[in-house]
Amino acid sequence: MNILTTGNKIIPPINFCPVEHRLYRSGQPSPLNFPFLSTLKLKCIVWLSNEDPEDSFLEYCELNNITIQFAAINPDFGEDDNPWDGLNEKSIFSALETLLDKQNYPLLICCGMGRHRTGTVIGCLRRLMNWNLASCSEEYRRFTGSRGGRILVELLIEGFDRNSIEIDEERVPDFIFNSFK
Amino acid sequence: MYIPPLNLGMIINSSDDNKEVIYRSGFPQPMNYKYIKETLNLKTIIYFGKKKDITKEYQKFTEENGYNLIVFEMDSVRDDNINDIMLEMFKLVLNKDNYPILMHSNKGKHRIGVVTGLIRKIILGWSISGIYQEYGIYTGNVKGEMDLEFINKFDLSDVKIDLDLDKLPSFINYV
Repeated sequence: MNILTTGNKIIPPINFCPVEHRLYRSGQPSPLNFPFLSTLKLKCIVWLSNEDPEDSFLEYCELNNITIQFAAINPDFGEDDNPWDGLNEKSIFSALETLLDKQNYPLLICCGMGRHRTGTVIGCLRRLMNWNLASCSEEYRRFTGSRGGRILVELLIEGFDRNSIEIDEERVPDFIFNSFK
Repeated sequence: MYIPPLNLGMIINSSDDNKEVIYRSGFPQPMNYKYIKETLNLKTIIYFGKKKDITKEYQKFTEENGYNLIVFEMDSVRDDNINDIMLEMFKLVLNKDNYPILMHSNKGKHRIGVVTGLIRKIILGWSISGIYQEYGIYTGNVKGEMDLEFINKFDLSDVKIDLDLDKLPSFINYV
């Protein structure tokens, strides 16, 4: 018996929001969200957790030819791997590399709740787009809920050096390229 | 360095050519003009608020850059003519000639939260729970009961809107 019906409504994943042209952010999508995700015509999903996503989610991606990029905290599964750890330099860089190639769009960037890890990468993307730090923090905190932002995430965003990233004119999406003109 | 307007976000961002875009934000201040001018590529600005709050500076900024500034005199969803305002808003949104669009109120929270919610509900067919969540992200979950109730009750099914079907934007998947 089905006691839950979604009618003909589509349900966005938790903390879903459009970020830039064909770029989206959210928490981990559940099967309830798959009809919604299909309207986005995603090509790539950046997964920012060190735990694997649920099987149903992996199956959905395979069925719909969506590439998942695992920008895990410790790609080599180190022993110090905790679900509550933040991102490190390497994982931020790896996620940004995917964001810097327009062939990967439409693109969804997500982690468990769509708050801190997703917020870290989006914050660095905003810095790359030459946003001032206060605006980056304002956006990050919008998504963190009542417990507010984490100082470690904001330190990562503050410390991000936009000159450390190489931009390939041919491949980079316009909304990033425009801020380099 | 850029200073985007307060609470800047996107409502529509999916078109292939990046022409059909709707941004949302708080009231743009002079320090935000550079960001708007250089990155948003706007055609229309829709303000939900008081006409008298449009500063000379802002008027000049919109004129100089050729933006079509439309003001809907609005206080809150308690306004008597709120349904008419929202209907006019839909007419603008359902004509692709008006894009790219920036919609703003003063803080970019409640009034714009309602407008966003109605676009999500009526044009995109989002579930109410998803709409409430997005509203909560921008308002920090404060003072929204009336707004959320308004979104929930809003219904266009009895209303006849004259629409030019050739002008409909491409993101519509539910009308």
